[in-house]
Amino acid sequence: MKKRVLAMLLCVAMTASMLLGCSAGSEGGDSDEESGSGSAGGTKEMEVEGDYTELEVWTFIELHQEFYTDMAEKWNEEHPDKQVKLVLSNMQYDDMHNKLSLALESGEGAPDVVDIELGKFPAFTNGKIGLMDLTDAIEPYKDNIIESRLSIYGKDGAYYGFPTHVGATVAFYNTEELEAAGVDYTTITTWDDFKEAGVKYHEATGKYFACVETTAQWMLNLMLTQKGGDYLDADGNIDITNDTMVEVLEYIKGMQETGAFETVPGGQPDNEEAYPSYNSGDYAVQIMPFWQTSRFTSYMTDLSGKIAIAPTPVWNEGDPIKSIGGGGTGTAVVADSENADLAAEVFAYIKLSEEANEEVWNVLGFDPVNTEVWTDTELTQNPDNKFVQFFNTYPFDTLLEIQDGIYALESLTSEKFPSINNEFCNVTLNNIFEEGMDVKEALEQSQETLKNEFGE
Amino acid sequence: MKKLFYSQKIAPYVFVLPFVLTVVFFWLFPIGNGVLLSFQDVLKDEWVGLDNYKRLLSDKIFLKAVYNSARYMIGTLILLIPLPMLFATLLNSKLMKKPGLFKSIYFIPALTSVVVAGTIFRLMFGEMDTSLANQVIGAFGLSPIKWLKNEWASYGVLLLLACWRWMGVNILYFLAGIQSISADLYEAASIDGANKWQQFTKITFPLVKPTTVYVLTISIYAGLSMFNESYMLWKGNNSPQNMGLTIVGYLYRQGIEKRAMGYACAVGLVLLIIVMIVNLIQLKATGTFDKEER
Amino acid sequence: MKSQKNKNRLATVMLIVLFAILAILTIIPIYTIFLASFKPGGDLLQYGLNLGIDWSRMSLDNYVLLFTGQHDYWRWFANSIVLTVVTVVATLLVSAFVGYGFSAYEFKGKNALFLIVLIILSIPLEVVMLPLYKQMTTWGLMDSYIAIVLPFVAHASTIFFFRQYLQGLPKSLLEAGRIDGATEYGIFFRLIMPIMKPAFAAMAILNGMNAWNNYLWPLLVIRSSSKYTLTLGLNTLINPYGDNYSLLVVGAFFSIIPIFILFICFQQYFIEGMTAGAVKE
Repeated sequence: MKKRVLAMLLCVAMTASMLLGCSAGSEGGDSDEESGSGSAGGTKEMEVEGDYTELEVWTFIELHQEFYTDMAEKWNEEHPDKQVKLVLSNMQYDDMHNKLSLALESGEGAPDVVDIELGKFPAFTNGKIGLMDLTDAIEPYKDNIIESRLSIYGKDGAYYGFPTHVGATVAFYNTEELEAAGVDYTTITTWDDFKEAGVKYHEATGKYFACVETTAQWMLNLMLTQKGGDYLDADGNIDITNDTMVEVLEYIKGMQETGAFETVPGGQPDNEEAYPSYNSGDYAVQIMPFWQTSRFTSYMTDLSGKIAIAPTPVWNEGDPIKSIGGGGTGTAVVADSENADLAAEVFAYIKLSEEANEEVWNVLGFDPVNTEVWTDTELTQNPDNKFVQFFNTYPFDTLLEIQDGIYALESLTSEKFPSINNEFCNVTLNNIFEEGMDVKEALEQSQETLKNEFGE
Repeated sequence: MKKLFYSQKIAPYVFVLPFVLTVVFFWLFPIGNGVLLSFQDVLKDEWVGLDNYKRLLSDKIFLKAVYNSARYMIGTLILLIPLPMLFATLLNSKLMKKPGLFKSIYFIPALTSVVVAGTIFRLMFGEMDTSLANQVIGAFGLSPIKWLKNEWASYGVLLLLACWRWMGVNILYFLAGIQSISADLYEAASIDGANKWQQFTKITFPLVKPTTVYVLTISIYAGLSMFNESYMLWKGNNSPQNMGLTIVGYLYRQGIEKRAMGYACAVGLVLLIIVMIVNLIQLKATGTFDKEER
Repeated sequence: MKSQKNKNRLATVMLIVLFAILAILTIIPIYTIFLASFKPGGDLLQYGLNLGIDWSRMSLDNYVLLFTGQHDYWRWFANSIVLTVVTVVATLLVSAFVGYGFSAYEFKGKNALFLIVLIILSIPLEVVMLPLYKQMTTWGLMDSYIAIVLPFVAHASTIFFFRQYLQGLPKSLLEAGRIDGATEYGIFFRLIMPIMKPAFAAMAILNGMNAWNNYLWPLLVIRSSSKYTLTLGLNTLINPYGDNYSLLVVGAFFSIIPIFILFICFQQYFIEGMTAGAVKE
């Protein structure tokens, strides 16, 4: 009996080394087909012939891996003397950012290039900055790019991230459900119209019109910015109990009280637990940044041909702020990387060149930061494009309509924003919309928590 | 020199050397370091004296984390000591058939990793009305509950997860303890006319005390340092109203997520002190000290 | 007399019913994930886990994906096996060495040192986690399995168990060894280790389970995804892209199987290993 234990351990060890041998042997050959369905999790490697420099890239959205490899292949074609081989690792959102901050702090184990989410960005541009100043790399492309999308990844005049998209907030209407209930989305201009349409829809169908978010602030930030509100006061101190904030949240709460708006599983429309609710038509409308398009084609496939994209409502007809940029990923280069200069050059190309911006739309379905691309109807109305096929309006029609009205929330780049965001998405919004706490009370409570954290 | 190495005087020290090195490098050093760090603001690289500790006392989120950890620990103590003791007694009864089979079955959950167990429970207690938990309460005519968004429901889920994973193991602990009690005692008691309940309270309960103390100790340890369960159940360190945040979770949030290493070290040291105090009280109350000093 | 017999029979039935219910409750969670391993991964998101069986939606697709698809699952699996085996072998050797030292000799400082063993037994690793992490970084051990294994090879509870196990050892055995000309270390390796096999088995299983299921410390230490263990890897699948959830559900179920098979074969050692501390104290 006792011998068996040892024998067993030996067997296990042998199997292990065999398995290891296998996986090591197959490592090289499995990169190309990865983009199709049937791939899941982990590392991907490009295949490159001839001389190349290897760049390690971390992402937290697997879609980006596909895009980067496509673009890197184009780069290699155009620059055979400066070929790169991308080795991409995809990790869970929190884990990736945590690992990055630990790696930067210790100066060890960091990749060459990394995707950093907008909400986490200020954490990396404070104190000792471990990211490379990309101003020079951006220079050749700068003229065509919406400045506000560069500056959200910047600090003190330096840029640390290549933007991916504008992320203009728009409305996605499920026309099939709405028509069945006799609601015409094109008549919705103001939030009052929106709310009224919701009530009408709910009365007709018993289903929910849209969600109130508890784990994100896409709609809240839009409404807040439209009203001229923010999370910080003019001196940069935390001020979430301001009148505008209270007013907006009270308004959303009023929406919930009609019964037509309710919280959604997962807490926000861009969440894996929420997709099924939208896919099955339980909720009809999403107020989301433009990049939600790719979530539709990936996770809400039953809605193909049923979704119209339109400008979001405003408070009063003719208001200047029609949309805000929401979310985003800044691709940063690690300053200590041996190949930092090359990485910056390559990724400036991968993310900012005109080809790249076309691909941002073609592959990812995002609104490119280079607005020249927006008017190229051959591209934006290409009948073979899967996004054009999916939606029953031309997505860029809406973008062009709101182009001059896309603003940004001021406090987004503040070093305090990650903590504010955290508090709102965990505590404040949950208190208000799940627990039914009074808006003012919930805000005051969170204000106190945040003040303690910031030492104000 | 070689002779010295092989001498009976030196050999014992060679034997315990790996442990001594471990203690020095992986416990004393880090704890000392942690103490130093806890007086610093690591991000700004400056000494801040007692500021981190002062901030802890007025940090409502930290207090909530302490409350959550303590509440979880107490819940597991209440559920995972008396019940396994009772079940073990019953399983050990002569009237019970095939106790071995049941023992094995109850042990299975302990084989699953937290990642797997937590994911299973997260999805069993999903808020959609088709999740198992909501189907079950639906069978009793209750409407679906958002299990993981409600303070007390989620507390229940956490305790259930703990019971699921550890009930079988604790039953085994108590079975081993009970089986080491001499059968003669029970025979003598039943000749004296003691009923089963009296036998349980007068013989089993006092005589499995070493086991009880052991289970109590590891439960306190595991309860106060719980993190993984909540991390998996809420798919990360964030939960609505921080209802799943534990002391270790807060340490992780401050130290890793917010890179406030100094503040996090203060949290770690407070945890150390809490664990020490609770264990001292426990050992004192159960009289374990007196026995050791004998 | 007869009524007593009937009463006993009734008690037996009631006991069996009680424990059967408990057994069913224990099995249900595993059963739900077993069922789910035959359902499309997306169902998991839409419906959660439940006991529903819809034959038209069930298939072996997930298993096909697991065995033939392109993913890193088997690499994680292999990593976990290697890490577990290394941890178990190293921990057992070192801890037995130390445990023997505590039981076989009287020496100055022994009691104080043993008290430290007991104290460390009751301190959660998390207390020292962050400073230890910082230290590992300065020693350049980040992203290596050494950092996962090394701090715990002299493992307090394992040392404690071995020391208790060897406590009853007759001192005459050591003397006999010395008379035969064995060195102090020779005695341990040639005479003592062979008789410790049952204790090794029990501790191998306990430490093996811990290593296989370890999560938080590897999460901090490991950076490159090529070094991910099964627990870390499975966690990256909690992301709806592609077939992640299909792989997650089948992979999670499959990860229980090896350890389950070991459990069936070596049940006695599992139980001994787990209960070791409780009785011998």
